[in-house]
Amino acid sequence: MTIKSLDPRITRAEIPVDNESTWTPLPDMDQHETYEVFHQEKRGDQPTHVGALHAPNPEMALVFAKEQYARRSRCVSIWVVRTQDIHTIGIEDSDVFETTPAKDYREARGYRVGGKLTEFKRRRAASNE
Amino acid sequence: MSNDAALKDLLFRMADDDLIIAHRNSEWTGLGPIMEEDIAFSSIAQDKLGHSLALYTLLETLGEAEPDTTAFTRDEAQFRCCHLVEYPIGGYDFSLMRHFLFDMADMLRFELLESSSYEPLAKLAAKVRGEIKYHVFHAATWVEQLGAKGSEESHARMQSSLNLVYPLALGIFEPSQFEAELAASGIFAGEAALQEKWIAAISPILERSNLRIPAVADPAQAYGGRRGYHTEHLQPMLTEMTEVFRIDPTASW
Amino acid sequence: MYGNLSVIDAQPNMPSEEEDPKLLAEFEARIDRGEKIEPHDWMPREYRRQLIRMIEQHAHSEIIGALPEGTWITRAPGFKRKMALMAKVQDEVGHGQLLYSAAETLGKSREAMINDLLSGKSKYSNVFNYPALTWGDTAVIAWLIDAGAIVNQVANSKGSYGPYCRALERICQEESFHLKYGYDNVVTLATGTETQRAMVQEALNRWWQPIMHFHGPPDTVSVHTEKLVRWKVKMATNDEMRQEFLDGYVPKIWELGLTVPDPNLHKNPETGLWEFTEPDWEEFKRVINGDGPCNKERLAVRRMAEEEGRWVREALKRPSQKYVAPLA
Repeated sequence: MTIKSLDPRITRAEIPVDNESTWTPLPDMDQHETYEVFHQEKRGDQPTHVGALHAPNPEMALVFAKEQYARRSRCVSIWVVRTQDIHTIGIEDSDVFETTPAKDYREARGYRVGGKLTEFKRRRAASNE
Repeated sequence: MSNDAALKDLLFRMADDDLIIAHRNSEWTGLGPIMEEDIAFSSIAQDKLGHSLALYTLLETLGEAEPDTTAFTRDEAQFRCCHLVEYPIGGYDFSLMRHFLFDMADMLRFELLESSSYEPLAKLAAKVRGEIKYHVFHAATWVEQLGAKGSEESHARMQSSLNLVYPLALGIFEPSQFEAELAASGIFAGEAALQEKWIAAISPILERSNLRIPAVADPAQAYGGRRGYHTEHLQPMLTEMTEVFRIDPTASW
Repeated sequence: MYGNLSVIDAQPNMPSEEEDPKLLAEFEARIDRGEKIEPHDWMPREYRRQLIRMIEQHAHSEIIGALPEGTWITRAPGFKRKMALMAKVQDEVGHGQLLYSAAETLGKSREAMINDLLSGKSKYSNVFNYPALTWGDTAVIAWLIDAGAIVNQVANSKGSYGPYCRALERICQEESFHLKYGYDNVVTLATGTETQRAMVQEALNRWWQPIMHFHGPPDTVSVHTEKLVRWKVKMATNDEMRQEFLDGYVPKIWELGLTVPDPNLHKNPETGLWEFTEPDWEEFKRVINGDGPCNKERLAVRRMAEEEGRWVREALKRPSQKYVAPLA
C-alpha cells in the first residue's frame, strides 16, 4: 500500500506506507565533508565568512555555496575551503589576544611631541632675546 | 505583420518550455537528494519561471493576454513546448540529464538572441545571461561528477538517462514554419544553427563524463510539441498546475 | 518555522552533573556580561545537550515544515504565487541547512540528527503534523505560523550561543519575506470573492488550535528550568510568546473581518493580557507522540527523499573525505 497524499507529488512517488521497516539509517559520512564559505558582498569589500555547508568536493561546494549563501544577498565572489584545511587560533585561546596597557609604543596615542616642541620653541625664543 | 506571427511562435516556444520545465523541476523542492542541492535546484526552477514570465510579458505587448491568463488557462493543444520538458521528473539522474541538455540549448539560444533585431528580446537575453550561466555550470558539474567521477551505479544511471533524454532533446530543435522569416528579419538564426552549436557544446562535456551520445535514427520522433501535439504527460500536469487558478480564473489570487 | 519545544522532552529533573565550579563561574559570568558562547568554549554538559536538542528540533521543523506548504507547490495560482511559494519552501530547506550546521558545531553530526528524526527519537514542531487541505491553508500557514515562529526566533536570536544566534539572524531576515507573502496572500483571499473568503476563513478555523498550541503549554504546567533561562538558552516563556503573537496578529485578523473560532478570545483591558479558551492540550500531547493526522506521512516522505538520494550521495563519497564540525 502506498501513501495517498494531499500533495500530488507525494502520491506520485508511490511511497510504501510502512517504509520504516525497510529504512536503513544513514551511514557516517553520508553527507560528505564540510566546507566553510566566504563571500564578498561588493567590489572593494573584505571577503567575509558566512557559514558552512556539506559537499563531496570543492566543485560541488561552489555549486552549492552560490545558492545557499548568495541567493538573496548581494555578492560578487564566493570562496570555499574545506573546514579541515583551516588552521585557527581558537576561541579557547582568545586570551592570547589580550594586551597589557603598556603597549602604547605601538599605538598612535603613544606618541605626543607637542609638549617638547612648545618647550623647545620657548627656550629658543628666550636665548635669542 | 507576418513577422509578428513568426516572432510570437518563437516566444511561445521559449516561454512554454521555460514554464513547463520550471514546474517539473520545482517538484523536487523539499525532496532533493542533498539539502544543499535541494536549494540550488529550486533556485534554477524559480529562475526558469521568471524567464517564462518575462517572455509571456513580451507576448502581452504583442497583443496576447496577460501572463497569468496565458499560462494558466490554455489547454495542451495551445502549448508550444517540446516533449522533453513534459515528462515527469523520474529519478534524479533523469531530471539532471534533462536539465543539462535543456539548459545548454537555453543558454545558446539566448546567446544568439542577444543580437536579435527584436530589441526587447535582445535585452531580455542579456538580462538572463548570468542566471543561465549558473544553470549550465550546475548541470555540467553534476553530469561530470556522476558520469566520470562517481560510482559504477551513477555512471550507469547517467548513461541510461542520456539514452532516454537525448532523443527527446532533439525535439527542442523542431523546425518551425517561420525559420526563413526569422532568419531573414534578423530575429533568430534558426533551430538548425542552434542545434549545431548545441551538439558542439554538449559533446566535450559528455565525453569528459564518459557518457556516449546514443544514435538516433529519426529525430522527428520527438517532434510535434511545437505544433501543439504533446505527450500524454502535459495535460494532466496542466490540470494540476491550474487547479486553484481555475476555481475562479477572473479572481485575483 | 519553529514553535516552542521545551515541553516535548525537556529533562528538567536531571541531576545536574558535577561541573568544575571555576569554569562554570567563568561561563556564567560571560553570559551575564552579554557575551556569546562560541563552539570551542568550555560549556556545561547540560548546556551543550539542551542546545543540541533545541537547535536540532528547530532544524527538523524546517525540513518537515517544507512538506505541508509543499503540498501546494505544483498548484499555486498564478506566476507571483508560484514563484513565491517555491522560494518560501526553498527557504525552509535553507534554514534547516543553517540550523543543522549550527547544531553540528556542538558535536552532533548531520547524519545522526537525520537518523534521530527518522526513527522518531527526535521531535519537530507539532503544527507540521496537520494537513494543508486547501490553498487557503498555505496562506494561513505562511502568515500566522511564520509569525509565531518569528516571535520565537527573534527571542532566541538574543540567546547565548553564537552559531545559533547567527543562523537565526539570517533566518529572521528571510522570514520577514515569508510573513509579508503570507499576509498578502491572506489579504488577497479575504478581500476577494466569496469563495476565496470562505476558503481562508475555513483554513483559519482549522489552524487556530494548532496555532494556539504553537508556543507550547501554559507556563503553569510547562517545564523549563531556571538554569536554561539563566544560560540564555530559553529567552521567553511560552505564555510571553503567545501573548506577543496574539497582540500582534489578532487585531490584524479581525481587521480583515475574519473570525477566530474562540468566542472567549479578548484582551483584558485591565491586565493588558489576552484571554482565551485553553486549546486541547491532550490532543497536543497525542499528536506530538505520533498520533496526529500527518505524522506518519511526514516521516515516510523524508525517508523516501533520503532513500531516493542515497545513490547520488554514495557516488561522490571518497575515503579522503574527512568530517570536521563546521567552525563557527
